Amino acid sequence: MTTAGGPSSSSLADVIDTILDKGLVIDAYVRVSLVGIELLTIDARIVVASVDTYLRFAEAANRLAIGSEPKGLSDLVSGGTEKIAKSKTKSAIEEKLGGLLGGQEEPERERVSRKSTRGDR
Amino acid sequence: MVTEQTKNQKSENTEKSDKKQTAGVYVYGIVPADVEPGDDATGVADGKVDVVTDGDIGALVSAMSVDRPLGKPEDLRAHANVLDGTSRVAPVLPLRFGAVLTDTDAVKEELLSAHADEFAAALEQLEGKAQYVVKGRYVEQAILQEILDENEQAAQMRDEIRDKSEDAGRQARMALGELVNNAIAGKREEDTRKTVEALGDLTDSVNRREPTHEEEAVQVAVLADVDRQDQLEEAVGKLAEEWNGRVEIKLLGPMAAYDFVVTQNPAGQG
Repeated sequence: MTTAGGPSSSSLADVIDTILDKGLVIDAYVRVSLVGIELLTIDARIVVASVDTYLRFAEAANRLAIGSEPKGLSDLVSGGTEKIAKSKTKSAIEEKLGGLLGGQEEPERERVSRKSTRGDR
Repeated sequence: MVTEQTKNQKSENTEKSDKKQTAGVYVYGIVPADVEPGDDATGVADGKVDVVTDGDIGALVSAMSVDRPLGKPEDLRAHANVLDGTSRVAPVLPLRFGAVLTDTDAVKEELLSAHADEFAAALEQLEGKAQYVVKGRYVEQAILQEILDENEQAAQMRDEIRDKSEDAGRQARMALGELVNNAIAGKREEDTRKTVEALGDLTDSVNRREPTHEEEAVQVAVLADVDRQDQLEEAVGKLAEEWNGRVEIKLLGPMAAYDFVVTQNPAGQG
């Protein structure tokens, strides 16, 4: 189960969602001795409904119908719980950061590889 | 003589007004003065984490060179690690990522001393508590199938694009995609409500975060007693069981109360 071994560890995406736009703003407390540091541009992640998203959903729905052999089912079932603790999904920003900065996170977009796990339920 | 004078002046000014200052103090957050960072606590830019105190409160800091840009993945993680590690043993008010002051005197006087009462009161409220985040992501195939099963219109539209090329069916695809997107938004709202309900009286402070992924099922931050973490795990475990194969859910924390500290003087924001 998710929590058998205690809470999951945070992925980089989790960290970004938490620390970038939350917490106390130092400027409100200190002005004189602030040091302007160059911050690499990282935007908090937000979801904007886009044409790309719509087309992707449509294609995924389309593919869902074609895959009628029960081949993918076992993947789904066995992957179900174990994947919880170790989420494989990576966000776009993580991918970008990884590529940009040579981070250790392996760029990977699950949606691209959906084809191989097509299920029929 | 002249040379010596210039020299003296320069060394006096180096600390505060020299524009080419290269050393700075990175500030992570505010803690009670008796908090001691571990010997091996490493922070942003590999700095050794230290605590600067003033009266009953202190600030977690580490030295860093200011000509080094911040924001690499390891910087973000270091910031979170220092604060989250602390949150397990003591209350901590996290600062937003990237706060750097000129020196420890500035931390002591301008930050701590000038806001001592405000910080002490906020720390008291956090005593024994930490933040946890419940995050869930829909399993794409499962949620799409659920939507197609529930929504006749969606199923019909899906059948319409079946035999068309991507170009020919573009309008229809757009319409179907939008329908799916809206259906997911509706499910997200409902599943977020269920999650908060499932946590029951384990928390009285909940922040429903804006979704950060289009297939997000839920993302809520809660403030809870560290003592009751096992109950929190149990509650989330039950949800995971109920939603097995439909939502991949995880519990993050304990972490610093990022979502629940508020800057009372918003004048400096922006």
